[in-house]
Amino acid sequence: MRLLEVEDLHVEFAARGLDNRVRVARALNGVSFTVDAGEVVGLVGETGAGKSLTALAAMGLLRAPARIPQGSIRFEGQDILAMSDRELEKIRGRRMAMVVQSPLTSLDPLKRIGDQLVRMQRVHGTARGAEARARAEAMLAAVRIPDPARRMQAWPHELSGGMAQRVLIAMALVNEPALVIADEPTTGLDVTVQAQVLDTLRDLVRARNLGALVITHDLGVVAHYCQRVAVMFAGRIVEDGPVAEVFARPAHPYTQALIASTPGRIAQLGYTVTGGTPPDLYDLPSGCLYRDRCPRATTACLAPPPRIALDATHGAACHYAWEAA
Amino acid sequence: MSITRFLLRRLLVAVPVLLGILFLTFMLVRIGDQDPVAMLAGPMADAPMLARIRAELMLDQPLLTQFWGYLTRLVQGDLGMSWQGNAAVTKEIATHLPATLELVTLAVGIGALVGVPLGLHAAERPNGWFDQLSRFGSLFGFSLPTYWLGLMAIFVFFFLLGWAPAPMGRVSMMVTPPPVVTGSVLIDSILAGNGEAAWSAASQLVLPVGCFAIVATAPIIKHTRAIAIEVMGSDYIRYARACGFPRRVIRRIALRAALVPVITFVGSEFTSLLAAASLIEFVFAWGGLGHWGLNAILLGDFAAVQGYVLTLAIASVIIFALVDLIVLLLEPRARA
Amino acid sequence: MSATTLDRVVGTARRSPTFAVGFGIILVFALLAAFADILAPMPPTLSHPYETLKPPGSGPFLLGTDGNGMDVLSRVIHGARYAFGIALPAGAIMAVVGIPLGLIAGWRGGWVDEVLLRVLDVLRAFPTIILALAIVAATGQGFLNVILVVGFLDSPIFARIVRAEVLALRNATFVRAAVAAGNPEWRVLLVHILPNAILGATAQLPLRMAWAVRISATLAFIGIGVQAPAPEWGAMIRQGAEYVISGEWWVALFPGLALIAMVLGLNLAGDGLSDLLDPKRRATGK
Repeated sequence: MRLLEVEDLHVEFAARGLDNRVRVARALNGVSFTVDAGEVVGLVGETGAGKSLTALAAMGLLRAPARIPQGSIRFEGQDILAMSDRELEKIRGRRMAMVVQSPLTSLDPLKRIGDQLVRMQRVHGTARGAEARARAEAMLAAVRIPDPARRMQAWPHELSGGMAQRVLIAMALVNEPALVIADEPTTGLDVTVQAQVLDTLRDLVRARNLGALVITHDLGVVAHYCQRVAVMFAGRIVEDGPVAEVFARPAHPYTQALIASTPGRIAQLGYTVTGGTPPDLYDLPSGCLYRDRCPRATTACLAPPPRIALDATHGAACHYAWEAA
Repeated sequence: MSITRFLLRRLLVAVPVLLGILFLTFMLVRIGDQDPVAMLAGPMADAPMLARIRAELMLDQPLLTQFWGYLTRLVQGDLGMSWQGNAAVTKEIATHLPATLELVTLAVGIGALVGVPLGLHAAERPNGWFDQLSRFGSLFGFSLPTYWLGLMAIFVFFFLLGWAPAPMGRVSMMVTPPPVVTGSVLIDSILAGNGEAAWSAASQLVLPVGCFAIVATAPIIKHTRAIAIEVMGSDYIRYARACGFPRRVIRRIALRAALVPVITFVGSEFTSLLAAASLIEFVFAWGGLGHWGLNAILLGDFAAVQGYVLTLAIASVIIFALVDLIVLLLEPRARA
Repeated sequence: MSATTLDRVVGTARRSPTFAVGFGIILVFALLAAFADILAPMPPTLSHPYETLKPPGSGPFLLGTDGNGMDVLSRVIHGARYAFGIALPAGAIMAVVGIPLGLIAGWRGGWVDEVLLRVLDVLRAFPTIILALAIVAATGQGFLNVILVVGFLDSPIFARIVRAEVLALRNATFVRAAVAAGNPEWRVLLVHILPNAILGATAQLPLRMAWAVRISATLAFIGIGVQAPAPEWGAMIRQGAEYVISGEWWVALFPGLALIAMVLGLNLAGDGLSDLLDPKRRATGK
């Protein structure tokens, strides 16, 4: 079943510079992807590619000065962009929940863990009173927090980063949503803790047949936990497909560079890695945005590349997608 | 940690600060060019008489000996004699302090009741028209000299309109003041069932409290706004939005989070107004501690100046301890 | 003025109207102070013994006369000199004493920091108005004394602002990088920390100057510091205080308005400046 469908999403920011002129940063330039029930989709790319922005837009959390001039977001068939704040509040945290980064500062510092989980249920009307407490405790157990009865009484500042991240996962799942969006859920955690937290998340998502969108810059996370992947560059999705497929036959030069930059892979694959910075969002070039960094660029790349389907599920936005694949 | 132990520790920490303040004041009043002996003795005194008074007051001793003498007497609860009123400083403080406390408590109370909601409202839409207006208003309030405001209020409400009573003290000279219980004339009158005195005391309070409250409100608006904006931009408020909490719930979380810093600020505001009260008391001939302390400074009344400064410092220590106590009760992180 | 400079001025004013208004007020007072002798209709201490307490608009006295028969307007205009006479030197003392103190305390820590913090503790418990009063009362009257006392009293507060900036900067990546690159300590401090720390402290300077103007007027009002008949606003309000009850409002009103305007101008400028200098706000264009 289709849960989330993002199509041709554009997001821009207006900012006033030192010279007092208003300039527009085009942060997202036509993002399209889908998440179905029961699948984990990875959204990967470098910092500033627009991953988190995509997640915020999907949750209906963008506010001024961000603007959505074009595109659509549908969740369970409903148009997110047309919804009022009231309607969105009923979906957020209920049907579509988010696991954010910086877990330690995201929990309400003045409320005990248990009370926060209970509030989450009470606000959305899923459970209240003793039932809500029981479910909260069961949820803490499900995210593998030891001694959940005692942890219910803990304050956020008493938790470690890994613990707090588990609590955030519990918060996200306690209302049994259909879709979970995890925005870099493990940045700042130790590598071993990272794996534990992600394992927990994956097991829960599988057991409940949820859809999940995992945002990360770590290809290892994608390879390990996701079935499908979408690679973002400068506010566009440059390649998408099943993880095994994309990793085995990356068609976009940026995906290739990304895979090659994983230590120990360069010699093995023989791709050329080109450094460089993302393009200036205030002054985007026409045509392919990766052009300046691309070893394969030709005059053809002055025209914007369409998404070229390599097979039913795998596609890349590159004029030369076929040659690479 | 138990509350008594917490308070004891706070007081212990305050001792060096208090000693520092006392020493500073002690030296300050003595390096001055004012000679209290000549003032006390009057123009008729001859040299031997001056010397005798000097010896009585220990003013012929080295400064450190004098300071030590002051401290030993202080420990016994003796703050010396005030020359201007020829009474024990402790007694003078006891009679004057309630008038100042009455004034400051009312002003800060009004300031908090008005300033906190206005600051919160301004923070709802940063840079909106209400925010700009309150920002200008609080900067304007910052720039108002209390004493000038008091003078203008006296002109308008006493001279022009005749609404307010003459700015002469805390209760009209025509009514019999109530017996002193709390020291607040208003409360004492009500306790004594003296309606006439209560009315007089209340009407005497309106102008000084009003002027003082205007000055007290400005910084409270400004700080509440800043605190609220910081809270609204915090990770946990953003997360609360991502959880789909309605505005009402988010507002409650934010209010709860802003409470502690706002209380802390209002506490510090109270201590600074305790000192600033001297000016408004001066204008309204209020006869409170500030007025008394101001006169002591102007006349070089050593023991009184020291007593005044010590009272202010102790008051601030007590208020900060109380504020910390409240914070301790409200803030789980502080209990760790 | 070239077109680009004009553009910049207009741009700054548009981005922070608060700063523009505050700066405008200060500019007006600066002109009044500079050209007081030309602008004031008569000398500020010229007494007209037969024309005391004339209400505004009587004869040549646009704002009336005071109890000594001196022209209130001329005195208010000359009062601007006292305002700048305190604001500029007191501000200079704060900067000269406070910036190095805060820099050393924040960077080195140690006993300088310890002493600064203790002094700030005492100042926190010791209301500055009373302290200033007591010091000026003890060390003797006179404008120079007021300037010195106000300047030095506020220096530790200024030092605290710089110290906080330095502490925040000390662990900033670019500072660590500068240290790691082998720059000598003085170079890191002067080239990397100082300009950034001063940026934050600059916005505070007008605010502290506003405080200095206010406190010196307060001292004069109490009768300490500048004495009447010197045309100082606080001293003039003091003179006017006794006439308020009998209805001669103008003696106290006009110097008070001037004082409020000047202090408000400095406060507005400081408040606007902190917006202009805050790179985060600059980026969003708010």
